[in-house]
Amino acid sequence: MKDIRDIAQIAGDALKQEGAEKAQYTVTFKETHEFNVDGGQFSLFRTLFDKSLSITAFKNQKKGSAFTNKLDEETIGATVKECLDSAESGIADSAYDIAPCQGEECFREGCYEPDADKLFARTKELMEAVKERNPKIVMEQMIVSHVKNHTLYRNTNGTEFEYFWGEYSVDMMYSAHEGEKMTSFFSSSVTVDNLDTPFIELGSLAKDLCDVEAQLTTVPMEGKFEGVVVLAPSSLVSFVAHAINNFASDSVILEKTSIWLDKLNTKVADEKITVSMAPTDSRICCSERFTGDGFKSENYNLIEDGVLKSFMLSLYVANKSGFARAKNSSFALVMKNGDTPYADMIKNIKKGIIVGRFSGGNPGTNGDFSGIAKNSFLIEDGEIKGAVSETMINGNLAELLQNVVAVSKETITDGNCVLPYVAVDKIVISGK
Amino acid sequence: MLEDFISGKKSLFTTGVHTELRAQENKQRRVALVQGNLTANARLEKAGVCARVYKNGVYGFSSMAECTSDAAETVLKAATENALFMDGHIQKGKNMFPAIAGGSTPLYKAVCDTEQKRYIEFVKEIDAYISEKYPKLSSRSVILSADSMEKIICTSDGYDGHVALPRTYIYLFLNSESTAGVPLELFDPVGGYGNFDDVFKTPSQVYPAVDALYERLMQKREGVYAEAGYKTVVLGGILSGMLAHEAVGHTVEADLVLGGSVAGQMLHKQVASELVTMVDFAHTALGEEAPLPVYLDDEGVPAEDAVLIQDGMLKGYMNNRESAEHFGMKPQGNARAFEFSDEPLIRMRNTAVLPGNDKLEDIIASVEDGYYLTNTNNGQADMTGEFMFGVSMGYEIKNGKLGHAILDTTISGVAFDMLKTVDMVSDKMVWSSSGVCGKKQPMPVGMGGPALRCKVMIGGR
Repeated sequence: MKDIRDIAQIAGDALKQEGAEKAQYTVTFKETHEFNVDGGQFSLFRTLFDKSLSITAFKNQKKGSAFTNKLDEETIGATVKECLDSAESGIADSAYDIAPCQGEECFREGCYEPDADKLFARTKELMEAVKERNPKIVMEQMIVSHVKNHTLYRNTNGTEFEYFWGEYSVDMMYSAHEGEKMTSFFSSSVTVDNLDTPFIELGSLAKDLCDVEAQLTTVPMEGKFEGVVVLAPSSLVSFVAHAINNFASDSVILEKTSIWLDKLNTKVADEKITVSMAPTDSRICCSERFTGDGFKSENYNLIEDGVLKSFMLSLYVANKSGFARAKNSSFALVMKNGDTPYADMIKNIKKGIIVGRFSGGNPGTNGDFSGIAKNSFLIEDGEIKGAVSETMINGNLAELLQNVVAVSKETITDGNCVLPYVAVDKIVISGK
Repeated sequence: MLEDFISGKKSLFTTGVHTELRAQENKQRRVALVQGNLTANARLEKAGVCARVYKNGVYGFSSMAECTSDAAETVLKAATENALFMDGHIQKGKNMFPAIAGGSTPLYKAVCDTEQKRYIEFVKEIDAYISEKYPKLSSRSVILSADSMEKIICTSDGYDGHVALPRTYIYLFLNSESTAGVPLELFDPVGGYGNFDDVFKTPSQVYPAVDALYERLMQKREGVYAEAGYKTVVLGGILSGMLAHEAVGHTVEADLVLGGSVAGQMLHKQVASELVTMVDFAHTALGEEAPLPVYLDDEGVPAEDAVLIQDGMLKGYMNNRESAEHFGMKPQGNARAFEFSDEPLIRMRNTAVLPGNDKLEDIIASVEDGYYLTNTNNGQADMTGEFMFGVSMGYEIKNGKLGHAILDTTISGVAFDMLKTVDMVSDKMVWSSSGVCGKKQPMPVGMGGPALRCKVMIGGR
């Protein structure tokens, strides 16, 4: 097999020869070791050897992209030609561009080489811990893996980024069962760069499993009322993602359908809310080091103390719209914690629910959402009364961010995001 | 066309284990015009080889991103070693699943490529039609996606074959604002199974779909919020197909049954009204080619229809060879993998509620106060059968007549309770195959159904 630099060189030479005016290309070598548990039993051991080349090239201010994982010289040449043919068939646009020269830099993160035997032992230990601590849990699927990744990025402006990273991750999907009673399924995951700690002690795995067991006991939820919803980190992530997608992403800024289009540097959320994309935060594991457009990634605040500070834009949409590009293209979501202990947050709620998971339709362009509050608990007079079933919540994403009443002091870190609990008022909650 | 470099490797299969060797190539072409801006112009190709070995109840799997004889030998060796590693540590001691007589499945449809230039010109013409005819739209997007998977499958026991699944879709997105200034969006996929030239001849064939979508968007501009509560609704075929796939289909996938789905307690029980029959079709549905025909699965099982619910009774699950042995059922070709680096999982193919005898007009006329729900923008379901669908288009029904369009809402229910409320089933099916099902790996699937009169919770505001 050719070296990663040989492949990049062949691609670079072919781009020059085919007359690309500007181009960027990335070669990736990736190995995965993965154990699967299905229906509570070990089922599969996978080892995957992947490599790929992705190219974006420009000619006459037109742009084309191509991706292949056949990395022989002939296929690379054909892929480059196909990429430029696509570009020439395209539409000229002065907004197409890549980053200016960022120099050369090499990044190393995490644990590059896997310890498959220790990974297996940690996986077995996790299964035994779940059986012992949470006997009512049925593990539908657990995937435990190590990914080793080596990427080389180059562009025609002289940038070269090389990135070596390796990480372990655990993804579990499960429900609790007792006789004919069963709960909704729930997913928990965690990503780490070492195997020093038993998996059950990481992220919110232990709490999540206990919460799901507790959901076997439900309390009636009748009628419809406006109340406080506590968004647990596991559901908060989807609300924030929907809000960004609907109000701050490439497509809605390009289409000019975002209701935040004229809200930059104005207040769009309660001042307790700070939302950052922080791939280099020490609590985030092996995240992005350079963007898809060839810039070195920097952390940035999307919302700072309630004020919209940035959209999440690529270089193209930034050039097109006149707004600044986002300083990284990751979703390494970090939300600032507040000053309310979680226990006090619950104590202060007269009537509401804690939402563990939201199963809802894609919110409309205006941010209206409605859906089922899954894996959720009723709060009455400051106390958690029991799990709820068949309960719907609805509201509006933009209003939700404005109606925050408390942000917890505690945060949950799972290696991908850092999130607190957030209590939001004026959400419509309806039982059957 | 994918070359066969694996058939000659059968002599390397280890005796006493079940072995699958698969060469696969996935292609995707994508062109996106957003407000006339070319935001995607991309061609993707992924190819490689993989092997999976089953021994005493555990699997070993390995894949390489190379289509060479050496790579085939490497993954066979690695998959065998992985199976031995697992067997050595786990020692489940399960038997080999029953043998399937050998055979061969021919290639029914070859994957053909199209120049990117043709895709771009085609999309540009549709975009120009929309922009000229409907200048007051707040925005428009036209996205063409042509994807295919092609596989050569060799198994130690079972069928070998060469299969391909190409499909081509154009996704239309139109945006406007309600009379109150609220942004609105509707989308419609146009296309289906086949290469670009099989599906599309001229851009003008898409124009009726554009016009119909625009008309619905204008109706939605005047839309009202649905009243929340437990209501009688008429689910259009797109939604009943979604119900078949999301709310029932997933609960009767045998791996999810083993993982605790509610259907584990319901086999051979009445789970729906007697008017409801549901089938996961393999390649032919009601005398016609199914939306995404599957002839052979990745475990070497020739595909046949799986009857899931018959006259309201839960009759069976969808299986792979291992789960079929566990439940004493017949494997019917549901084990499918998305890319060369993916192992086969139990997947749906073309899952549908079968049509009944009622006319749609009569069903609508029978509803005094309810809703006719025609389009959805997503759906999710739980292993409990509890489901939630986003409704992007629908109408009030008042005294048997269609009223105002409704704004985006959500419906929810518990599938096996809700299906018991079905009391009218229309005589016409609507199929869709534009989406992908997500379950560890993505997978193109077909789903369909007739209009159903039933009761569900509707979100309102």
